[in-house]
Amino acid sequence: MHISDGVLSTTVCLGSYILSIGICSLCIKKSMKTKELPKIAMITSIFFIASLISIPLGPTSVHLILPGLVGTALGGMAFPSVLLGIILQAILFQHGGLTTIGANSLMMGLGALGAGSIFSLVKKSNNSKLIINTGAICGAMGVLIAGITLALLLTTAGEDFYGVAKVALLAHVPVIVIETIITGAAIAFLLKVKPDLIGVKIKPDETGVKVIQ
Amino acid sequence: MKKNSPIVNSIFFNWFIAVSMILLAPRNSFGHKVNIFAYAEGQMVYTESYFPDGSKVVGGVVEVYDSQGNNLLSGKTDHLGQFNFPIPKKDDLKIVIIAGMGHKNSYLLSADELPDIIEQEKKLAQETIKGQETRKDQEITKDSPLQKSDVVQTVNLDEFKKIIDQSLDEKLDQKLSPILRKLAKSENEKISPTEIFGGIGYIFGIVGLILYFTKRNN
Repeated sequence: MHISDGVLSTTVCLGSYILSIGICSLCIKKSMKTKELPKIAMITSIFFIASLISIPLGPTSVHLILPGLVGTALGGMAFPSVLLGIILQAILFQHGGLTTIGANSLMMGLGALGAGSIFSLVKKSNNSKLIINTGAICGAMGVLIAGITLALLLTTAGEDFYGVAKVALLAHVPVIVIETIITGAAIAFLLKVKPDLIGVKIKPDETGVKVIQ
Repeated sequence: MKKNSPIVNSIFFNWFIAVSMILLAPRNSFGHKVNIFAYAEGQMVYTESYFPDGSKVVGGVVEVYDSQGNNLLSGKTDHLGQFNFPIPKKDDLKIVIIAGMGHKNSYLLSADELPDIIEQEKKLAQETIKGQETRKDQEITKDSPLQKSDVVQTVNLDEFKKIIDQSLDEKLDQKLSPILRKLAKSENEKISPTEIFGGIGYIFGIVGLILYFTKRNN
């Protein structure tokens, strides 16, 4: 889901650069905590590598994008994390062009922020089932928002929005399904082994036995 | 914290089962990047477009530009991701593949990789002239039987050389084209572990630097 060089016009490239740098600095100002930095590094590494993980599906393969997981784990800091991941993917893997770093990070960053804001609604809930299922939905939402942003960006390159959106979303249906499951599984796993990584607190319940909430 | 919370365990297990079931189902999707490579063989340029995982670009648009940026021709890739066209011009050819949805890449086929079209034309012209000459020679030889053997010998040598050159060219093309293809493919890119670990190193390094400076300011 990376846009290559030479697809978007110069104005759109510049505009998306400015917009993504603006959103990034806003996110850093609002939600950066020093003690969360190691976590950000870890999640960014996962995002950076995810695009390399091809899952063989019959004759071809699909690869992960994981904006949903980044969003659920990092909240507001998801955008800077995605931006860093995209820059390194562009430089080291040639995934997407250098001129479209802004557009690509806008696309996946918005997906991550959207997923993060949905997940923040249930963070304080007591119901672990609800948290896991919301996490899974966030995984789908991340790709969905990214796909819609991709269609919007490609519309500026002269393609018809509904046509592109249809193709983009249809092509990403398997990705959405897989990311839903993977994000759900990851959230379930984190809830079990390290709930504070996704911002969920453990509290003793009425019976005095500590359970995951 | 209860170590093995049954609810979480069963949900996690369900997700796990679902993941493995999905992985077994066949599906198609798009890659992150599209690659194109091209090589000249005889008087044709062969191009092949594919995604990094090896799947072919079917129905992608291929456009060919010269060094001045003029669009020389365009076409669509077939079910094998291939699109072939006769060499339009001896020039640096920029071959662009557009696979839709933001996937675009190009391959530069430099002029010295292309065989000389003009020279070939000249050769053809020379051949026809030579043919006429030999006919003339033969006419002469009819009159003077003494020179006949010499002329016939030279003509035969020339033709012999031409035939050998042609068959050598064909054989070489045949033998070299898979190698050329492999070279072009390997040139195109493959992500190595160095880059992956380098990238992770960069991420931790950058975040470490931020951590260092924020701690120092505090």
